[in-house]
Amino acid sequence: MAWNIGANDVANSMASAVGAKAITIRQAVFIAGILNVLGAVFIGSHVTNTIRKGIVSTDIMTDPQVALIGALSALLAAALWVSFATWKSLPVSTTHSIVGAMIGFGIMAGGFAVINWSKLTAVVLSWVISPVFSLVIAFVMFKIIVKLILVKEETFVKALKLSPAFIGLAVFIIVLSFLFKTPLGKKMAIDSWAALLVAFIFATLLGYAGRVLLHRFIPMDDNSSAEEVFRKIQIGTSCYVALAQGANDVANAIGPLAVIYFLVKTGGVGAQVPVPAFLLLFGGIGIACGISMAGYRVMDTIGTKITTLTNTRGFSVDFAAASTVLLASKFGLPVSTTHAAVGGVLGVGLAGGIEAVNFRIVFQIMIYWVLTVPAAAATSMIIFKILQLIV
Amino acid sequence: MRIPFISLFMTSPFDGLQEHAEKVKECAWAFQQAIECHITDQCEAFEEFRLNVDKMESEADSIKRRIRGHLPKGTLMPVDKFQLFRYLREQDKVLDAVEEALDWLSFRSEPGIPEALEKDFFLLVDAVMDPVEEMCRLVLETRKYFRSYSEKQRKIIKDIVHTMRRQEHDADKVEDAIKEKLLNMQIEAITVFHMIRLAETIGSIADHAENAGDMVRAMIAR
Repeated sequence: MAWNIGANDVANSMASAVGAKAITIRQAVFIAGILNVLGAVFIGSHVTNTIRKGIVSTDIMTDPQVALIGALSALLAAALWVSFATWKSLPVSTTHSIVGAMIGFGIMAGGFAVINWSKLTAVVLSWVISPVFSLVIAFVMFKIIVKLILVKEETFVKALKLSPAFIGLAVFIIVLSFLFKTPLGKKMAIDSWAALLVAFIFATLLGYAGRVLLHRFIPMDDNSSAEEVFRKIQIGTSCYVALAQGANDVANAIGPLAVIYFLVKTGGVGAQVPVPAFLLLFGGIGIACGISMAGYRVMDTIGTKITTLTNTRGFSVDFAAASTVLLASKFGLPVSTTHAAVGGVLGVGLAGGIEAVNFRIVFQIMIYWVLTVPAAAATSMIIFKILQLIV
Repeated sequence: MRIPFISLFMTSPFDGLQEHAEKVKECAWAFQQAIECHITDQCEAFEEFRLNVDKMESEADSIKRRIRGHLPKGTLMPVDKFQLFRYLREQDKVLDAVEEALDWLSFRSEPGIPEALEKDFFLLVDAVMDPVEEMCRLVLETRKYFRSYSEKQRKIIKDIVHTMRRQEHDADKVEDAIKEKLLNMQIEAITVFHMIRLAETIGSIADHAENAGDMVRAMIAR
């Protein structure tokens, strides 16, 4: 499961950076692998809880036998469905597969009553909201870049001058996500206003530090343009997307596993299952393995196929995707990084940043998004029944 | 389709436009050689040139159809789809005019272009070649503009369009001079008709190139 995530979803975080030639394929695979593990271990645990108990009520978990079989069937069903999708080349979201599988097991174990419908509605809404939100951010971001930098006479100087603002904005979001999402941030127990202040200070400092570094590393000659500046910034944003992805997606693979682990160890299950760090590490490494083995081929395809994405566009896409994933996780919605990235590309496309974008592909993708949940649920139900017969 | 991110991106229609523009330029060069060959009389290769232009024209046609056929509904581009098609149509008409001029000339190869007009026709062909060559550069620069959106690049495009307008105007003047001469010559009426139609067709090459330039100007309008 984790392997699948690594193999397929890595495209979302690194695609724009590779497509825009900000980093090489080898670097992308390496960075994505490391950061996914880091994200999984340090930021991951919070989300794991959300997915496990959010949609299916914990009432059915009181019987350890049922819970064990259920978690196992959910994991198997999601893994099966994602593998099937990979084999058939269907674009499905791993996040939604696991959500669907959990629902299927919930229905089998406790009937329709155990499903938390309002949560499910939120999930369905997130299919629409996350791409749209990402689209809007990317659109606005790109328009701003065009208006403030590209139109000007001395684009390079202008870009350098404004770089603290862009770096700062990215840092602001990253720091906020750390403070709000990680166990580390929770421990510090900073309230929202203080968090905003801290993030703002970090953003200002790092923004200016970034400009100094940019000054040092980019040679000032006639060829240098705004793209050069954004190329460097984009490395940072791509890293962030990879980090957020590790945090977000490790839950898909590890959530049910955590339940099983907890059951085997203690014989019962509470309302909340603490996820041991080594399981997260395990999941993170699984993702990293997927990236290193299959990610290369994916990146290669991206690097050769997406040639019209330049650094300013790539930055806008990354920024939009990262912000969307952060915000959605804040509300506890299991969003897919795929949706956010697709929305970001469309946003830049609408702003006229890309020579040709296929808008209609969205409707096709949407069909698979909608199909994923029932399909995974059905698979999960069947496996649940089979396991019940065996045990 | 496994990775939706990739399937979002499609082959840019600008690739095709550029390819098409290159074809037009190649054709125009062949056309120039063909006319020179026809006028100098010592050349046997006119027919060969003409067939070559015919062949290139049909190749360009298939490029044109490929561009039109591969822009599904819901394609997001920095320019309006129909602006792109209008541009492509004008670019293609340049080629049609080149082909037609050669065909028209071949229908009545004897006595051909009267000696008194040879120099004027040389001038006219040279005059229409300029905007065609500019047009080829225009596609390249337009593509660069949509990549950078810089004001400098926009200025370059506007300058090219201006140059094309001026060149078209110059070609018009040469064309008018030929017509005036022809109508005052003491020659067979059929030759007059043949030559006037020839001058008009050659002149229209520049007209269509100018129209293409105007379409680009509309594309980059803010």
